Amino acid sequence: MIALAGLGVSLALGAAPADEGVPEVSPAIEASLVAELERARELRLPGKSAPSLVLYDVLDGDVRSCFGEDGGLVVESLERFRNLRVEVRVAEAGMDSSSFRAFGEPDGVVSRRLPVADDAYALRREVWLATDAAYKHAVEQLSRKQAAVQELPEPLPPDWTAAAPVVVREGKHDGNALGMAECREVVTRLTAGAPTSIEQVQAVVRDWHGWRTVVTSEGTRAWIPTGNVVVRVEATARRADGTPVQDARWWVGKDRSSLPSLAEMEGEVAAMRARLAAVVTGPSPEPWLGPVLFEGPAATELFSQLLAAEIVGTPPELEDGDSFLASTRGAMARLGRRLLPDGWRVHDDPSTRTGRAGEYAYDHDVVAPRRVDLVVDGVLRDVLMSRVPSKFRAASTGHGRSLGESRRGAMPGYVHVTPGRRLSEAALRRKALQLARQVGLDRVLVIERIRPPAMADRLDITISGEGPPPGLTDPYEACLLDRQGHCEPVRNLRFVGVDRRSLRDIVAAGPGAGPIDTLDGPPGPERFGIGSTGGVPVSWDVPSVLVAEMELDPSTGGEPRIIAP
Amino acid sequence: MLAPLAALALANEIQNPLPVMVSTLASVQARLRADPPGGSADAPYWLSYAVVEERRTTIQGTHGVHAGTLREADRTLDIDVRVGSMALDNTHKIRDASFFSGESRPSWNVPLRGPAEALRRALVRGTDDVYRQARARLVKVRANAAVKVEREDNSADFAPAPVVSEEIEFGAEPVDIQAWEQLLAEASGRYIGREHVLDSAVQLVVSESRRWIVNSEGTRVRDGRQHYRLATWAETVADDGMALTVYDYVDVASPSALPRRDGALALVDGVADRLLALRAAPLVEPWSGPAILRGRAAGVFFHEIFGHRVEGHRQKDEDEGQTFTQKVGEGILPPFIDVIDDPLQARLAGEDLNGHYKVDDEGVRAQAVPLVEGGVLRNFLLSRSPVAGFPASNGHGRRQPGNAVVARQGNLIVSARQSVSYEALRERLVAEVRAQKKEFGLVFDDISGGFTFTGRSTPNSFAVQPVTVWKVFADGRPDELVRGVDLIGTPLATFGRIVAAADDVEVFNGVCGAESGWVPVSAASPSLLVSEVEVQRREKGNDRPPLLPVPR
Repeated sequence: MIALAGLGVSLALGAAPADEGVPEVSPAIEASLVAELERARELRLPGKSAPSLVLYDVLDGDVRSCFGEDGGLVVESLERFRNLRVEVRVAEAGMDSSSFRAFGEPDGVVSRRLPVADDAYALRREVWLATDAAYKHAVEQLSRKQAAVQELPEPLPPDWTAAAPVVVREGKHDGNALGMAECREVVTRLTAGAPTSIEQVQAVVRDWHGWRTVVTSEGTRAWIPTGNVVVRVEATARRADGTPVQDARWWVGKDRSSLPSLAEMEGEVAAMRARLAAVVTGPSPEPWLGPVLFEGPAATELFSQLLAAEIVGTPPELEDGDSFLASTRGAMARLGRRLLPDGWRVHDDPSTRTGRAGEYAYDHDVVAPRRVDLVVDGVLRDVLMSRVPSKFRAASTGHGRSLGESRRGAMPGYVHVTPGRRLSEAALRRKALQLARQVGLDRVLVIERIRPPAMADRLDITISGEGPPPGLTDPYEACLLDRQGHCEPVRNLRFVGVDRRSLRDIVAAGPGAGPIDTLDGPPGPERFGIGSTGGVPVSWDVPSVLVAEMELDPSTGGEPRIIAP
Repeated sequence: MLAPLAALALANEIQNPLPVMVSTLASVQARLRADPPGGSADAPYWLSYAVVEERRTTIQGTHGVHAGTLREADRTLDIDVRVGSMALDNTHKIRDASFFSGESRPSWNVPLRGPAEALRRALVRGTDDVYRQARARLVKVRANAAVKVEREDNSADFAPAPVVSEEIEFGAEPVDIQAWEQLLAEASGRYIGREHVLDSAVQLVVSESRRWIVNSEGTRVRDGRQHYRLATWAETVADDGMALTVYDYVDVASPSALPRRDGALALVDGVADRLLALRAAPLVEPWSGPAILRGRAAGVFFHEIFGHRVEGHRQKDEDEGQTFTQKVGEGILPPFIDVIDDPLQARLAGEDLNGHYKVDDEGVRAQAVPLVEGGVLRNFLLSRSPVAGFPASNGHGRRQPGNAVVARQGNLIVSARQSVSYEALRERLVAEVRAQKKEFGLVFDDISGGFTFTGRSTPNSFAVQPVTVWKVFADGRPDELVRGVDLIGTPLATFGRIVAAADDVEVFNGVCGAESGWVPVSAASPSLLVSEVEVQRREKGNDRPPLLPVPR
């Protein structure tokens, strides 16, 4: 079809604000939400119920982002972001319209950009339209849910856990936003000066700082400061046979003061490039079957990818259609399931104040988080909860966080994984080599860095929208450690047949790299679609670990260059 | 922590990327000629780099306030490599290719500023990607040519073109952002209090684009384009659930031509009036009969049903309907109609023309192309892909950055050798209504756009989407505004029914989307009387209007 159009579309707009720190909280936003909330109580379609719950959540702040390549600045933007998320629920006979999904159908959640001017009337116009649409969607969504569950033999658990209204007035934002000049300089300096053996170096920076304003029909009124910053650098080289080889570095923090200095980042990137240049000419990888040692950021990624879904108690949304019964079995997390070896403990506590990105005062439901002792002696004893209850747990633990319009399920915040016994680094490596010898190997595979889900680019993930079939994304960096302590870099390996049960094969633990901040999505397919700068901050403090046996295969692909760089 | 940084100036060696493009093209070409991977026959015979920088500022007002200002900028690199020969190269269409054999065409965002090396690396990497793809495709092209029957049009895949050297210093004229933020806020406030206007906005979009083209024949182009659109839209829902949107705009090529305060407010008032009138207007049932297409509607009508069908590449693509391929020299329109496509024309009827350019996206100078003279088809719009009987480009190879060039329209201008006043044309409409024993005829006053299908696998139909349509009654009742119809038809039947033209000319400025992406175009025409058109019901929504009244 060939189309001619003079017709424009409404752009989602944010202002280009002055490049000066974090904007002030806007009382006009709260005033407009409160005014429309009062009117929303009167919403009523013929023969249908009024809203049972109205939740307004506005993110208002500045987004600074830069993208650089090979020392040049490709894209930069400084945008005022003011976005409303309105959730309206309608309830009948003890069931509301939430926690249900019908393919292609709108639910009771609507997003809408708001004007940047602090004008209560203009803001109310937008809130009015969004609330009207959300209510109508919720009424239809409830009817779909009622139709789907009417033959179920047992009633569904409640959709929502009551909580006392909260009034939060955090009037001061202590975030230290990155300036545009720094944003540009970071991406250009971190990508400059690569040798010709490196095909391409790209870097992206995104700094978000602003306010979350929440107004609910339960009486909650909140202004909550929010923000984070992420820097990611990825380099690509190509072997003579055409196989691309990649490596990356990334840093996530609450704000710019949480990041290393630019000189330190440059040092890390230079080391990465040197390693990449070396590995690209090294020998071809061989399949691996034997013990595997996860060190540093790789250990964090191992736990993040395999453990996160096991400690979240939010039940999956019910789905319309044939998959309905299968999806009503409950959360993936199973209390009493052995997740780790005897003696291991896991707890999550975002309420601490140590400066980690995964710490927070209130979750997206405006519930203060609490420490949850999840795993005791290797067995799951408790789970993280939002205000969406399950058959086993009703109360929120203050872990309700989500992306955009998604349902507010629970997500990890600041997870601490503690082994029963911790070896020194040297002892852990000796143990690894000992295990290798038992299966006839003279070296042990050390995984140093794994591609996070946000940077997963495999076609099978892109097409399916779900995690990789092996259960763990590919390593960026790995090496073969020998008895002399030399670790020979290897490249392009891919895990085979990994799942949560691999954690039970951990046979020893070491000191770990200390807390590491990440950006992540809720456990499930969403975490593979958050993009390189999206997601919610999560911190992990895990030990390095030795897994008794894992299988990895070499991956190949690509074509050799005809025109050398 | 990230230590505070002095705001260091980023070395910008590529503000003008042309020197890096020229030197890289030369070095890459020399390397491939010296040592082509499959022998000299596999070296590229033509290589081109095009970089387009686009900067856009969008200012929006809504509900009486400033809604936001968005600034965007990027540079897109397009690399075209041709392998084989002009007679048969890698771009040749592979006939009967399966749906799943779709070929991705890479393009890249390249640095806006930085060291020359950043751009050079992108050019070399990109050339390698495109060259490898071109070599692989040529293998398939040759096999396909051997397997399939002889082509109906055996013209070459590429035509020689003169070397062009055109370097124009381009500096966009700025606008006063703050003043416009205030004005758009004020203008958007005119919708407040207009009952039933649910949502609305007023926008100014300032676009600057800079373009650099080099190719292996020696063409060097550096130019730019600036464009300003003041636009407003408003929407409502009729009582029957039909969603109604009225959009109006002014396109100009310089900020001094933008409407002043009074003009901006009048634009908004006009949209509000039309929207509310439409909301109250009755629906039209499917109908056929005589109609007048006012100038803008007639321009879009010609763009869709004629302009796309004279684009050169369609004449040799055997999947295309090829309505006019064999009709050169034949009468296809009434003898009083002329049609020209003239990208060199910058203004018409007091308006800046959106489809104006001097050099096309293949680096060929644009030409005014007389397409129809006295109703007789004379020519086609051509890129460097020739067609039988038309061996050279006439400067209509166009693309949105990131797409392969094909022949496209620029400023399609319809004119009439015989015309009458609009009033006389309207009288002729009434006479035609009476002669056909109809209750009424239609006047299509304003349109939002249109589309057409040109392939053989679908009906060769078109649709023009009117905003404002009036019933003109045979019995002399006052004209009545109506809503809810699209004008539909097929090209040859419709052309034969154009019976008269007025002496007015109106311009439609817009953007046209086709195989090579969205490109700015204009279509101009006098009002036309058509003895029979057909209208069908328009798609409509089913939403109730908001349950609560507008906030006070």
